[in-house]
Amino acid sequence: MNLPQGTLDLLILKALSLGPLHGWAISERIHDVSRATLEIPQGSLYPALHRLERRKFIAATWGASENNRRAKYYELTRAGRKQLGEEVDAWAKLAAAVGLVLDMT
Amino acid sequence: MWLRALFRRSEVERDLDDEVRFHLERETEKYVRQGMTPAEAELRARRAFGGVERIKDDTRDARGIGWLEALAQDMRHTLRGSRKRPGFVLAVVLTLGLGLGANTAIFTIVDRLLFRPPAFLTDPGRVHRVYLVERHDGSDMTDGHMAYTRYRDLARWSSAFSTIAAFQDRELAVGRGEETRVMDVGVVSASYFDLFNAHAVAGRFFSSREDSVGAGAPVAVLSWTFWQTRYGGRPAIGDMLEIGELRCTIIGVAPPGFTGVDSDRPVAVFIPVNAFGVHAGFFQHPTDYYLKYNWQWIELLARRRPRVSLSAADADLTHAFRMSVEAERAVRAGTPTVDVSQPRAVVAPIQSGRGPKASNVSRVALWTSGVALIVLLVACANVANLFLLRSLERRREYALRVALGVSRARLLAHVVTEIAMLAAPAAMLAVGMAVAGDRILRVLFLPGALSTTITGDPRTLLFAGIVALVAVCLTAVAPSLEAGRVNLSGLIKDGARESARGGSRLRIALLFLQGALSVVLLVGAGLFVRSLYNVRTMRLGYDVEPVLYANLAWRGVTLSDTQRVALSHRLSDDARTIPGVSSVALALTVPFYNSWSEELYTVHRDSVAKPDRFTLQAASPEYFHTVGTRIIRGRSLTEADRAGSPPIMLVSEAMANTLWPGQDAIGQCVRVGADTAPCRTVVGITEGIKQSSISDDPGTQYYMPIGQYNPDQAALFVRMTGDASASAETVRRRLQRLMPGASYVTVTPMRDIIDPEVRSWQLGATMFVAFGVLALVLAAVGLYSVIAYGVAQRTRELGVRVALGAQVPDVLWLVLRDTIRFTILGLLLGSAIALAAGRWVEPLLFGERATDPLVFGAVTGILALTAAAASLLPARRAARVDPNIALRAD
Repeated sequence: MNLPQGTLDLLILKALSLGPLHGWAISERIHDVSRATLEIPQGSLYPALHRLERRKFIAATWGASENNRRAKYYELTRAGRKQLGEEVDAWAKLAAAVGLVLDMT
Repeated sequence: MWLRALFRRSEVERDLDDEVRFHLERETEKYVRQGMTPAEAELRARRAFGGVERIKDDTRDARGIGWLEALAQDMRHTLRGSRKRPGFVLAVVLTLGLGLGANTAIFTIVDRLLFRPPAFLTDPGRVHRVYLVERHDGSDMTDGHMAYTRYRDLARWSSAFSTIAAFQDRELAVGRGEETRVMDVGVVSASYFDLFNAHAVAGRFFSSREDSVGAGAPVAVLSWTFWQTRYGGRPAIGDMLEIGELRCTIIGVAPPGFTGVDSDRPVAVFIPVNAFGVHAGFFQHPTDYYLKYNWQWIELLARRRPRVSLSAADADLTHAFRMSVEAERAVRAGTPTVDVSQPRAVVAPIQSGRGPKASNVSRVALWTSGVALIVLLVACANVANLFLLRSLERRREYALRVALGVSRARLLAHVVTEIAMLAAPAAMLAVGMAVAGDRILRVLFLPGALSTTITGDPRTLLFAGIVALVAVCLTAVAPSLEAGRVNLSGLIKDGARESARGGSRLRIALLFLQGALSVVLLVGAGLFVRSLYNVRTMRLGYDVEPVLYANLAWRGVTLSDTQRVALSHRLSDDARTIPGVSSVALALTVPFYNSWSEELYTVHRDSVAKPDRFTLQAASPEYFHTVGTRIIRGRSLTEADRAGSPPIMLVSEAMANTLWPGQDAIGQCVRVGADTAPCRTVVGITEGIKQSSISDDPGTQYYMPIGQYNPDQAALFVRMTGDASASAETVRRRLQRLMPGASYVTVTPMRDIIDPEVRSWQLGATMFVAFGVLALVLAAVGLYSVIAYGVAQRTRELGVRVALGAQVPDVLWLVLRDTIRFTILGLLLGSAIALAAGRWVEPLLFGERATDPLVFGAVTGILALTAAAASLLPARRAARVDPNIALRAD
């Protein structure tokens, strides 16, 4: 299923809210948690990560991966955590609003 | 800073590489775990990821980067793109290179003719050539030449100038005996050297004491080149050197490049103007040259004082000139008053090509640089079109990048960077072309000039760089507009196919512009070629190719008139024995070099008004056969016509018609020189000749037996059976052996006498044709690429049409519509421009109207043929579209 417009950033921030992850793990985590419903377009993942990094919502460090290889880990910054909260709220409002409209009888 | 930024950039790059690689590896491992073979897994992972480089680019865009990184990224991008499209790169580099090369090459010429000041000249902006204007018969006559006396007056009575110098380039025989050569000698005042910041490399320049009025010392300063070629760089100070009538002591050697103020005539030796004036022998008294005003031979250079404006300088010099005219009236009866002649002086730039007496050659050079500019415009339009075609293909990519947050400014910068990167090799190619073309151009425009090295010339390199920059900006306009118009909505999904129409109007407009500009150049080429043809096929009244002119200069000997006559006969007898010589004649004058005239009296008119309308020639019997002038009626000169025999003459047809309209000229009587002179009977009528001007010469000449008129002044005409130019040196050597004392012979092919007269047409024809063809080829390539691209883009549409029953002519019409529009609109617009510009070109043409329908007709044909040829291939491809294949293409 294609991601609705503008949700990629939200999903990335949410995925990182539980702890630092590298790029591949982020896409895997979203895939798994959504029970394989959401497929991250890989071509957009890295541009999105770097964009978020530029906007200081996430920070990157190089560390050893689970199989002991050099990998770039992303973690949420304070600004990112705040942004996540706002985006979650906005999403909830949107979802609720859409739900109301769809429940219209 | 730069280094660190670049270094940092590579670190960022490596990180990005690592990150992407890590991702791909993990993805591959995942698929392997799911049971795929490693190879399958890797392929799958890569496919899922998409284009690695593209994503890296997108990622870089998303990061947002500094301008340096951006530039580096764009350059990398361009390089990557270039490797994929060598054809595109080659087309762009060649097209721009040709356009820039044409401009760089012609710049080297225009620069030397119009802009580059003479070497060593200090503060050239304040050094001027001086021109004098006087009113004659109701029209202003401007002249840069004046009497030495006038120069002294102007120097004495003006105050706006810190230095005033006299100079004159004279062709004089330099050396003695076999070694004697006619060379350009700088006859200059001692103040001349004050204008330059130059020091003699050996010895010294001459002082004002050696250039004192009426008593110039016979001293000479050699140019560096002459010192090298004649003396091999050996010490020469104190040696004697024969220069014209003077025996000079060499006192100095000028530094390399110090060769006077006229770039096309480098000076070999400098001598004091007063030394030359005293011994030149133009006057009875050696003092006359600085007391009289009727020998106008000096040119003036003047350095304006600081804080004196140009108009103040003009006014000051005009004031001095008026005083000088008053002084002239005191010594020369018949000088018009200042109220009549309204004398005024004008200071002009040091480059004669920018002064009021600019030659046709500098005007043609200016035109040619305009033409080169048009070629550059065509090239830019062409490259812009190529980039447009490409940017259409890349709209999807652009749209994506905009979607990823790349600013439009970044996108434009990318386009400009791409063009600039291809312009750099084009500029190098241009300099290469200029080097290669320089020799040819120099021979055409500045036959006498010394070579300069273009590659080491900062002015030329700077010019090439600037023009390249301008070209980049011009070229970038259209593609930038296009990139700026990138429309997000829909584009990403639609792909390139449907959007191809968007920029087509811009492309077609550029194409028309190219067509129109080519038409303008081709019309120019046609007009000049026709002019040259007219000049070349025009009967001059004498033959050019087989004829040599040998001038005899007596020096260092005193010969009686009889001895000179005897010697000239010996010379002509000797010349007849040279192999390849078919006939030899003695004559007084040679066309374009000199002419004589006398007062004429006929029975019906006491004095024929304006004697100089008729020019005289005195010649030996072989003359007409030797130079090829035809005798229309009556008889030629014979051996029987000699001193003491009955006086006779031949007149040209035009002269006969002027003097005796409606009557037979043969048998008429003319008195030459005085109304008491014996009656000369006209015995024959000849064709008229071009005597002093190619364009408007009335052709009114008369011929007398040389035995009856100044036989001691004779020169030789030699007619060869083969190529006369190649034999000139042989003939000179043979004749020189008979010359007594320091006397010498100069032999000039008639071709060399005529060539300077036709040079401007030759130049115009050569340059317009070369550049016209260049522009046409560029336009044709442009047309081809646009149509070919159109066909490729519309293969599917054409396939649908064929499938729906369209016939081959219908398909062809779709493709050729642009070709036909290109031809018609190009012709209309181009012809309109050419007709408008015609008014200014017409004075440079010969026997040719700027509206010549033949030229316009030919250009129409050429353009139509070229357009047809350019669209032939794509049209064939379109006609063969197979609907099955075309429709399956997607």
